[in-house]
Amino acid sequence: MIVLEAHDVSKVYREGPHEVHALRGVSLSVRRGEVLAIEGPSGSGKTTLLSVLGCLLTPTSGRIVVDGREVDPHRPGQLRELRRHAIGFVFQQFHLFAALTAAENVIYGLNLRGWTGEKARREAERVLRSVGLGERMDFRPRDLSGGQRQRVAVARALAGPSSLILADEPTGNLDGESGARVLDLFRSLARSEGRALVIVTHDPRVRTIADRVVTIRDGRITHEELEN
Amino acid sequence: MIDLALKMLLDEKARFAATVLGVGFAAALVLVQVGIFAGLLQNASITIERLDADLWVASRNAPNIDFGNPFPERYVDRVRSIPGVERADNLIVWYAFVALPTGAKESVEFYGLEDFPAWHFPWDVTSGDPADLRRGRFVLLDASAERRFGAFQPGDFREFNGRQLKIIGRTRGALSFTTSPIAFVDYRMAQLLAPADLDGRTTFLLIRLAPGADVETVRAEVRKRLPYNDVYTRDEWAARSRAYWIESTGLGLTLALTVGLGALVGVVIVGQTLYASTTEHLADFGTVKALGGGNRTVFGIIAEQATFAAALGFGLAVGLTWALAPVLERLDMKMIVSPMLMALVYAGTQALCLAAASMSFRKVATTDPAIVFRG
Repeated sequence: MIVLEAHDVSKVYREGPHEVHALRGVSLSVRRGEVLAIEGPSGSGKTTLLSVLGCLLTPTSGRIVVDGREVDPHRPGQLRELRRHAIGFVFQQFHLFAALTAAENVIYGLNLRGWTGEKARREAERVLRSVGLGERMDFRPRDLSGGQRQRVAVARALAGPSSLILADEPTGNLDGESGARVLDLFRSLARSEGRALVIVTHDPRVRTIADRVVTIRDGRITHEELEN
Repeated sequence: MIDLALKMLLDEKARFAATVLGVGFAAALVLVQVGIFAGLLQNASITIERLDADLWVASRNAPNIDFGNPFPERYVDRVRSIPGVERADNLIVWYAFVALPTGAKESVEFYGLEDFPAWHFPWDVTSGDPADLRRGRFVLLDASAERRFGAFQPGDFREFNGRQLKIIGRTRGALSFTTSPIAFVDYRMAQLLAPADLDGRTTFLLIRLAPGADVETVRAEVRKRLPYNDVYTRDEWAARSRAYWIESTGLGLTLALTVGLGALVGVVIVGQTLYASTTEHLADFGTVKALGGGNRTVFGIIAEQATFAAALGFGLAVGLTWALAPVLERLDMKMIVSPMLMALVYAGTQALCLAAASMSFRKVATTDPAIVFRG
C-alpha cells in the first residue's frame, strides 16, 4: 500500500527579483514498510523536499498524497492534521524538549495527537522499550547520550498511528556506533511496524538499510536505484 | 496532559524567579501606593463619615472640612425650626498652635461642639469622657499627636494659642489629610482659641434628620433659609473633601503616574523575559508546530507562562504588602487594601502580563515549523 506520493512537485522561492528553484518536478512514492533514502549534495533540495513531503512547506506546484489523502496547501488546518496523525518526524538536532523527560517528550507528542492519560503513558512506554530505552524513561535529554536522544526522537515519531516517518540526517550528530544502532533500529521498526520511512542523509551507511535510494541534484531526481 | 509551559518555566528557575520578582515588586508598588493613598483619602473624610449628621451646611464654596470659612452661628436657629430636622448644632473646625514642652510650636486642628455625645463623636475614645469637655478648659487629644507633640498623658497641660488646656483623655483614629493632629474642645472654648475669627461664628452646621424625613425636602428648605451657604449630604461632603485633595494637590496625578510606572515596569520585565525565553525556545515552538500544534497551541504555552508569572508575582506582592503593613502602622500611616483593590490589581497584573506575552505571539506566529530541519 502506498503511503506517500509526490507528483511533479516544484518549489520556487523568491529572493527579491530572483527566483530560486529548490525543487523541479519531483515525483516519487513510498510504500508501507519501505525505507527510502534520499541522497544529494548540500543545497540540492533534500531538506526542502522533506519539508514539502512533511506538510511543513507548501509546494509551488504539483500534488502530494499522504495516506490516501490529497494535500490541499490552502488548508493549514489539514496540513496540521496530517502532521499530527499521519507523519512522524526525526530531526538531525533531535529537537527534544529539554524540560521534559524521555517519557514526557513522547507523551507530549501523543498529547498533540489527541492521546491522553493512561493510553498515552502506555504507548510511550511501549515505544521507548522498543527503542531500547525502557530503563531511561525518566531521564532528561541532557542526561542522555546523543544516540539515546536520537532514539527518544525515534520513539516520539513512532508513537501513535503515523504511517510515515520522515527523518532528516538522523545519524548526522551521532558517532559511528550510535549511528549504526539507530539505523538498525529504523530497519527493524520499518519492517515490524509496517511504517514507510523516508531518510534524507549524507551517511553512506543508510544504503545498508534502504530499499531504494534516490539521488537529488539541483532540485531534480537524477538517479534512483534499488538497494535491498 | 503534559504541561509543557509549566515544565519549561520550572526548567529555568533563575529566569522564572527573576520574572516573578519583577512582577511581584511592580504589583506591590501599585498595591502599596494605592493602599496608602486610599488611607490618606480616608483621613480626608473620616470625621465626616463618623459624625452622625445627615446634612452639612458650609460656607459658600468651602473646599473641604479642613478649610471651612466662618459664618454667623445664629444661622443654626433658622435650621432648627425646619420640619424634619431632629437636631442641628454648630461645629467649629479650626487651627491653633500648641506650645510644646520642648519650646517648639506645632499646629493642631481642633473640633468644637457643644454636645459631643449627641453626635457620637469622637468615635474611638480610649480614655476620658467627651461629655466632660464642656465643664472647663479641657481638651481630648488623638493618640496620633504623640508623633508631633511627644508623649502626653491625661492630666498633662498644653498651651493652645496661649491658653492652658488640660488633657482629659485620648482618642484613636482621628486623623486629618493635613497631617495636623486632631484635638476636641468644647464649642465655646473653640471660639475662645481664635476669637478674632470665631467670635459669634461657626464653620459648619450639622443636621440630623427626624426618622422618615425626606433629605431632599429638608435640604431645599435649608437652602431657602440660608441662601449664601452650601448644603451637602454626608456622602457628597465626604466626596468633595476627598476630591479637593486629589485634584488640588496633584496627588491623583502622582498616583496615576506611580501606578502607571509600576505597571510599565511589570510589563517590561515580563515582556522582556518572555520574549528572551521565546527567542531561545524558537526551535521548541517550531517543533510543537512540526508535530501538529498550531499557533493556538504555542500562544497557549506562552500565555500560560505569563498567567503563571502573574499569579505568583501577585502572591508575592500581597506578601510584601502584608509585611509592610505593620511598618506603616508604626509610622501612623494608614494603608487600605480592600478586596476590590486586590481584585483589580490581580486582574490588571494578569491583563498586563498577557499583554507583555503578546509581544512574543508575533514572534512565534511567524516561526516557520520547517525551522526544525535547519541545523
